[in-house]
Amino acid sequence: MSTTRNIRVDYIARTEGDGAFDVLIDSNGIVKKASWNVWEPPRFFEAFLIGRKAEEIPEFVQRICGICPHSHHIASLRAIERAMDVKVSNQTVLLRELLHYSDWIMSHSLHIYYLAAPDFLGYESVIAMAGNSDLLPIVENALKIKRLGNDMIVVLSGQEIQNKTSVIGGFTSVPSVTDLRKLQDQLKKMKEFAYDTVKLTNTLASQSPYKDLSRRCEHVALQDVGKYAINEGRLVSTMGLDVPEWDYPKYMIEKHVPECNCKHSIIKDRDSFLVGPLARVNLNFNTLSIDAQKAAKEIGFTTPCYNPFMSIVARSIELVHAIDASIALIDEIGTPVFERPRFSYKAGKSFAATEAPRGTCCHGGQIDKYGVVKKWDIVAPTARNVYNLNKDFEEFIPKLLDLSDEDLTLKCEVMIRNYDPCQSCATHSLKVRLQRE
Amino acid sequence: MGKPKVAFFKLSSCAGCQLTALNIEPILLDVLGVVDITYFVMAKRENHGGPYDIGFVEGAVTSPRELEELKKIREECSVVVAMGTCACFGGIPSIKNFCGMTQKEVEAKVYTELWDIKSMPVYGIDYYIDVDYYLRGCPIDKNEYLILIKSLLKGINPLFRFHSVCNECILKENVCLLIHKKKACMGSVTASGCGALCPSLGRECEGCRGPASDCNAESLAEVFMKDIGLSKADVARKFLKYAGNTPEFSKGVGHYEHY
Ligand code: SF4
Ligand code: SF4
Ligand code: SF4
Repeated sequence: MSTTRNIRVDYIARTEGDGAFDVLIDSNGIVKKASWNVWEPPRFFEAFLIGRKAEEIPEFVQRICGICPHSHHIASLRAIERAMDVKVSNQTVLLRELLHYSDWIMSHSLHIYYLAAPDFLGYESVIAMAGNSDLLPIVENALKIKRLGNDMIVVLSGQEIQNKTSVIGGFTSVPSVTDLRKLQDQLKKMKEFAYDTVKLTNTLASQSPYKDLSRRCEHVALQDVGKYAINEGRLVSTMGLDVPEWDYPKYMIEKHVPECNCKHSIIKDRDSFLVGPLARVNLNFNTLSIDAQKAAKEIGFTTPCYNPFMSIVARSIELVHAIDASIALIDEIGTPVFERPRFSYKAGKSFAATEAPRGTCCHGGQIDKYGVVKKWDIVAPTARNVYNLNKDFEEFIPKLLDLSDEDLTLKCEVMIRNYDPCQSCATHSLKVRLQRE
Repeated sequence: MGKPKVAFFKLSSCAGCQLTALNIEPILLDVLGVVDITYFVMAKRENHGGPYDIGFVEGAVTSPRELEELKKIREECSVVVAMGTCACFGGIPSIKNFCGMTQKEVEAKVYTELWDIKSMPVYGIDYYIDVDYYLRGCPIDKNEYLILIKSLLKGINPLFRFHSVCNECILKENVCLLIHKKKACMGSVTASGCGALCPSLGRECEGCRGPASDCNAESLAEVFMKDIGLSKADVARKFLKYAGNTPEFSKGVGHYEHY
C-alpha cells in the first residue's frame, strides 16, 4: 500500500450511544494512530449526586444506562449499605442476583443477536436478517430470549429498564411464587436455544481472520466463593491481582497520558486490562453452571483464551449459565415473603463492585450522618476497556492491512463490538478527545 | 402516503427509552410492516438521511453540539416527539442545574482537565424547538408509545390525559402511601399514565412523569413538611428531580434556593 489511508467512522452502527473511531495508516503501512473516541456529552452524575440523599443514589445511577441499569443500581446499593452498616436478608441477596441475571439475559441476547450477529453474517440489522427465511426462526427465538430477560425484570421490579421496587435494605414488594414459576418454565424452554447459541457464535468467531488473532493482556473480574460472581466478590486477575472489591480505587487507576491528553485505565504498576465476559469465563470457569461448562467444552473452548473475538462466545456461554443460575435461584427463593426494607443514616465511606454484562462496574463514596452524599465515584466497564481496545487496534490492524478500506472498517467495528461498549456508561468518567488533523 | 419514515435520535440519555421502543418483541415484526425505520443508530447499520415523517427524540440537550443536532432534527422531521422524561423536561441530568454549583464547578468535579468540555444547563427539548407530542416517563410507557404510533398512522390526535397518579392509584384500590404509611409520595402532583406503577408496588411515586394538569405543588410541599416531617432541603430534592425545570414543580421548592 503506497498511499496514506485514513479511516474515520463518525458513528458506530448498532452501539448504544455516540462514539467514533479514527485510524491513520501512513504510506509505509504503519499504523500512526488507532483510537476509539467517545463523543457523547457527559451527564455529570458524579457532580450532581453530591448533596443528594443516600436512598436517591441507586434510583439515579440506574439511569446511567438503560441496558445494564441493575449493574449500577446494585453496586451503588451495596456500597451504601456497607457505608451505613445496613444488613440485608438472604432472600434480598438472592432476589438481587436474579434481578441482575435478568439484565444479563436481556443484554447478552441483545448483543449477540441484535448487535453482533448482523456484523458477522453481513446484514445491516437483525430486521434485515428476519427477511431471510432461513434465519427467521433464529430471529424469532432471539426476540423470545430477549423478551424473557425483560419479563424477568418486570416480575421483579414492576417495569422494564428502570426498576421500581429495589431500595436500600431490600424490596418494597416481592414477586409471587406463581410468577416466578412461570418464568422458570420459560427459562427451561429457552435453555436449548441458548445452548445452540454457543455453537452458532463459535462458528462466527472461528471465521478467518478472527480465529488467529489473539493478544495477551491482563483479564480482571470479580470472583465469588462457590458461585459465579455477579453481585459481589474479590477482584482477581490473570496476573495475580487478588484484593477485596472495595479496594478497587487503589488498584484500578487512571494514568494521564500527555501526548493524547486522555486517561488510560490501568492496573497499578502494570498496564491496560480487560473486563467482561471473556475475563470472567477465563477466571471463573469452574463456577459456571455444569451445562455452560459442557457447552464450552463441546466447542473446544479452553481457558485462558486471549482472543478478544471470542468474547461473543464467552457471552453465549454466560447466557447458558445465566439461564441455569436463574432456574436454580428461583428454586432457592421458593415463596418470597415481604420484608419491610429498613435502614437508618450513618456516616460512612465505602466502595463496591458488580459484574455488569460488559464487565466490572464500580461505585462508592462517602455519606454523612444525615444521609447526605459528600462524594461519589463511578467507573463503568467501558471506561476500563477503552485503553485495552486501543491496544487491540494497534496489534491487529497491521495484520489486516491487505483488506479494503470498507472491509477494514468493518473489522474495526467488530473489534469495538467485542467489548460490547456502552457509551452512556463510558463518558461521565472518560476523558477522551477527538483529534482531527 | 406510503409507509411513514420514522427516525430515532439520541441526545444525552441512558438509551432506556429507545430500548423500550424495541422491547415490543411480540409485535415488533408487525410494527415494522407498517412503518419504515429509516434512522436508528442503535438498531441498524444502514441509516438514511431525512426528511422523515416522525422523529422520536430521546434525551436532554446538554451540549452545543446536541443543540445543533436538535435544530437539524426539527428541520428534517414533520412530527417531532419528545420521547421520555429527559427529552420532555430534562430528566435526571437536569439535577445538575439545581445543585448549587456553577457550570464550571460541576465540570471540575468530574473532569480534571477542562479543555474540551462544553456543556450547558440541561433542559427538555421544547426549550429550544417546537415539539408536537410528548411521551412522558422514565422510561416511556410502552402502551402510550404504541397508542401514539397508531394515532399518527390514522391521522388522529392521541388522547393523553394528565390527571394525577392518585386517580389511577384509587382505581387500583391501593392503600394510600402518603396518608396511611406517611411516605413522601409525589403521586398527587404527578401526571398519570403509568397505572400508578410505583404505589402499586409499595414504592412512593417519585414524580418521573412530570407535573399533572392540576398540580398543586405548594400544598403537597406543606404536607411533606407538616405531616411527613421532611426538611426544607428534602422537599427541594423531591421536586428538583425528574422535572425540576418545570414551573409547576419549582413552585414546590418555595424560596429555598438549593439543598
Ligand atoms: S427518560 Fe429515563 S429511561 Fe428515558 S432516556 Fe431518560 S433516563 Fe433513560
Ligand atoms: S399512594 Fe401516592 S399516588 Fe396513591 S393515592 Fe396516595 S398519594 Fe396518590
Ligand atoms: S408512579 Fe410516579 S414515579 Fe412511578 S412510574 Fe408513575 S409517575 Fe413515575
